[in-house]
Amino acid sequence: MIINLWDVLFFFLAVLILLSALGVVFLKNPVYSALSLLANLCITAVMYLALMGAPFIAMLQVIVYAGAIMVFFLFVLMLMNLHKGEYEDRIAPWRFLFGLGAVVLFVIQVVVLGVEWKGWVKGGSHGVSIGEISHLIFTRYMLAFELVSILIFVAALGAVALAKKKL
Amino acid sequence: MGVGLFQYTVLSVLVFLLGALGLMVRRNTIVMFLCLELMLNGVNILFMALSRHMGSAEGQVIVLFVMAVAAAEAAIGMAVITTFYRNRGGVDVDRAHLMKW
Repeated sequence: MIINLWDVLFFFLAVLILLSALGVVFLKNPVYSALSLLANLCITAVMYLALMGAPFIAMLQVIVYAGAIMVFFLFVLMLMNLHKGEYEDRIAPWRFLFGLGAVVLFVIQVVVLGVEWKGWVKGGSHGVSIGEISHLIFTRYMLAFELVSILIFVAALGAVALAKKKL
Repeated sequence: MGVGLFQYTVLSVLVFLLGALGLMVRRNTIVMFLCLELMLNGVNILFMALSRHMGSAEGQVIVLFVMAVAAAEAAIGMAVITTFYRNRGGVDVDRAHLMKW
């Protein structure tokens, strides 16, 4: 049996992604949670780059998610200056019953996928070029693209309006 | 058995469900927002895997939009949390009990 090195890389990255996701959920200190999410996003970017042939999205993931959004979260976290008693969650054990719902959903998902998608052939295995992405953005998704720019503008205005003490 | 769409889908579902579990279990609003980002990341993995599987660029375009909406959502959410902290003196969601039955 020949072991494919790309498959080994996939499982390695998948284990790292799941471990850092567990860290986000179960670490007590919110700063550690944020750093764990940062690791999660960066490893996902590595997966996009190495396994899916999507360097553009991998780059955006690092710049936008890891660079902008996570720094924003950490900034607000530092701004609050929480003390030990304030940030530590008192998680009641019965809350982990929610995990049962997650398990049920997972089983349903796997069963549905195993039954419905078994016959799919692996289509185009080449990566997608930036040219194709930008062509789609400026033709079929033109309206959505413009609406997203308006959305971000409104979000910036709304954030200032919400967080300011007196307008 | 090589790694195909199925393995990527299982990974994305697991990341999504871990985010959902965190959203329900944690009480700190900022950590709840982090878990929300985790759920978005799981969805992104699925879009990217499908885009790769079908050799189409549309999945990547939608990932782009998801990132933009996540940025807008993070800005609004952090503003709400800052106001909440100022008015209630903490970031625990249990402090928001005005409309609780």
